[in-house]
Amino acid sequence: MTETPAALNDLHFMKTLLDLLIPPSASGDLPGAGALGLSAAVATALQADPLLGPPVEAAVQALRETTLSQHPEGLPGMAPQAAVKVVEAQLDPMLIMGILLYLYPAYYQHPRVLEGIGEPPRPPFPEGFDVEATDAELLEKLRARRRA
Amino acid sequence: MLNEPVGVLVIGAGASGAAFAWRIADTGMSVLCLEQGPWMKQQDYPSNGLDWEARGMREFSTSPNVRRLPADYPVNEQDSDISPLMFNAVGGSTILWAAHFPRLTPGDFRVKTEDGVGADWPIDYRTLEPYFALNDRMMGVSGLAGDPAYPYHEPPLQPLPLGRVGNTLASGFERLGWHWWPSDSAVLSQEYEGRAACINVGSCLSGCAQGAKASTDITYWPAAQRKGVQVRTGCRVREITVRADGMADGVLYYDAEGQLQEQKAEIVVLACNGVGTPRLLLNSRSRQHPEGLANSSSLVGKNLMLHPYAVVMGIFEEPLQGRRGPTGCLFWSHEFYRTDRSRGFVRGYSFEAIRSVGPAQTALWGTLHGLVPWGEDHHRAFARLYDHAGMLLCITEDLPDETNTVTLDPELTDAHKIPAPKVTYRLSENSRKMLAHAVERAKEALMAAGAVETVAEPLMREAGWHLMGTARMGRDPRTSVVNEWGQAHDVRNLFIVDGSVFVTDGAVNPTSTIQAFALYVADSIKQKMETLFD
Ligand SMILES: Cc1cc2nc3c(=O)[nH]c(=O)nc-3n(C[C@H](O)[C@H](O)[C@H](O)COP(=O)(O)OP(=O)(O)OC[C@H]3O[C@@H](n4cnc5c(N)ncnc54)[C@H](O)[C@@H]3O)c2cc1C
Repeated sequence: MTETPAALNDLHFMKTLLDLLIPPSASGDLPGAGALGLSAAVATALQADPLLGPPVEAAVQALRETTLSQHPEGLPGMAPQAAVKVVEAQLDPMLIMGILLYLYPAYYQHPRVLEGIGEPPRPPFPEGFDVEATDAELLEKLRARRRA
Repeated sequence: MLNEPVGVLVIGAGASGAAFAWRIADTGMSVLCLEQGPWMKQQDYPSNGLDWEARGMREFSTSPNVRRLPADYPVNEQDSDISPLMFNAVGGSTILWAAHFPRLTPGDFRVKTEDGVGADWPIDYRTLEPYFALNDRMMGVSGLAGDPAYPYHEPPLQPLPLGRVGNTLASGFERLGWHWWPSDSAVLSQEYEGRAACINVGSCLSGCAQGAKASTDITYWPAAQRKGVQVRTGCRVREITVRADGMADGVLYYDAEGQLQEQKAEIVVLACNGVGTPRLLLNSRSRQHPEGLANSSSLVGKNLMLHPYAVVMGIFEEPLQGRRGPTGCLFWSHEFYRTDRSRGFVRGYSFEAIRSVGPAQTALWGTLHGLVPWGEDHHRAFARLYDHAGMLLCITEDLPDETNTVTLDPELTDAHKIPAPKVTYRLSENSRKMLAHAVERAKEALMAAGAVETVAEPLMREAGWHLMGTARMGRDPRTSVVNEWGQAHDVRNLFIVDGSVFVTDGAVNPTSTIQAFALYVADSIKQKMETLFD
């Protein structure tokens, strides 16, 4: 008999869940969070969080059980609309926030996502960025008000 | 040699400890600084990697309770409306600070005289003026001379560019005819003293890998070390020890290996910030000082001030490129700084126009405030917010109140079993009214600048960046802990140079004033050396 992994470590289930939280964009420029393979990173981070980890883990476990009772393949087998509904009904918004706390940083550091939102796919340092100069007209106005 | 007695022992290597140690080193006395944290390395800062935002929320979080690094001590903040924030390393909280560098204004030193509230400082702006200027040179400050809100002073470096976001926000203040001025910023607009200019990395709040932001590990400390000052890291001071006559004679500290060590000194100087300093004084009980060191007034740990903050975000149709550039340094406004009783509160506030945050933080903030949902609409809502936001921080002056305190937690301890601090801080009615007023005015300014929508956080919890007032200065030993030049009334060879000594806190960031005061204390000690302990 094979043991079922805990829901957070069930990569197939987690991939579906993360894709529901951040689906691919309509234009296709931005991938879904599940498709980017972030499940393991998010699960590890949550499991290392003594405050958020346990309640999120328990809620996600319950979600998987509910979805398995509704569909033989559970969440991955459900139609997207139905899947969203069950997530909304089962997961407290604060617990979803707990997942997003780790999902957003993982998602928005991915080079494909950075390119999709118009950022260069590189760390901020050492290249840095250009910044526009101060508006000369504004500066003139300030100079006129200067204390001598 | 380790534990050779020293002339001057500084505890804490942050903003104030660094400035003081550098200045006092001229005396020729041996100077040692004990710091519980390590030296930081610029190549370890988060901006070196794609995961900079994730790391900024974890091991570079501004909260010691989130980081829980070996250098950190926990702070019980359950009974506080605002979380106290800090960093523990050589450089102290300047490792993570935004480097927005206003001075207190002349009126901030005489609040009682002007408005009949709080108390007057025993020193004034003019006393600190030469030290403000010296400190600006040491830190490397960029700014535009001539702000009518201040006595004339010239920052050593030209102002930082406002960028599109700054130009846009400033246009709102112009339209309303409200005061605004490019911020004095401890960030280099050009190369200075061997440090490279800012390249707009935009991750100041998790350490500056470029070294353009003035954290004291790269400004004062190298200069102090060249003068012979020693810094011993990984050393957590447990208590200040006293002689039979009640004078300080050194400290007990845990070294990097966790061994208890004794360090003797002729003069002990506290620079542990507005939470760490009262904690250490209260932990230094003795037969001579049963209520804690220097605490005959019972004011150690009382009158904690934290500058309650609100933030208002404006959403604009045009992209503002706000992610790029020094996060906290655009411009300030003192339009509502002084008391106008028709507003329903006393004293006032300033605005600090800031840039915006990275994509992950934008998404988190947006979700928390109901602007960016998860699911199908996520990307559309995110795109509306990201790079389209301009923000105004509202910094309000909170008046000293003895019920806002740093005490010792009866149970919580740090890794060395030293009692940890408990912070109790409740917002006053005056602060509440002031915050509400500030939020409305900030919305007005943002709409005048072209925002299509505004979103406010009327009281920021994670905003206890400024820790002040817990060992206030004054001339009367019954109503203050230290005198006008930082000397403890009860213990004449004990000095405090951090924000604990603030009598009131104005409505601007405090570090320029904290450091100017630390330099002033060093010079006062030098001048009074012959009669120091009379
Ligand atoms: C995220 C953030 C942003 C900020 N932005 C700004 C800004 O833009 N402008 C501004 O003016 N201010 C800002 N501040 C505040 C500013 O950083 C502080 O005012 C300033 O650093 C205080 O200096 P200090 O020397 O009193 O304390 P710190 O700089 O906090 O240094 C205290 C040092 O003492 C050490 N210490 C404490 N206890 C012990 C002990 N028992 N034994 C040994 N060592 C000990 C600590 O490890 C620490 O290194 C910001 C702060 C934070 C956290």
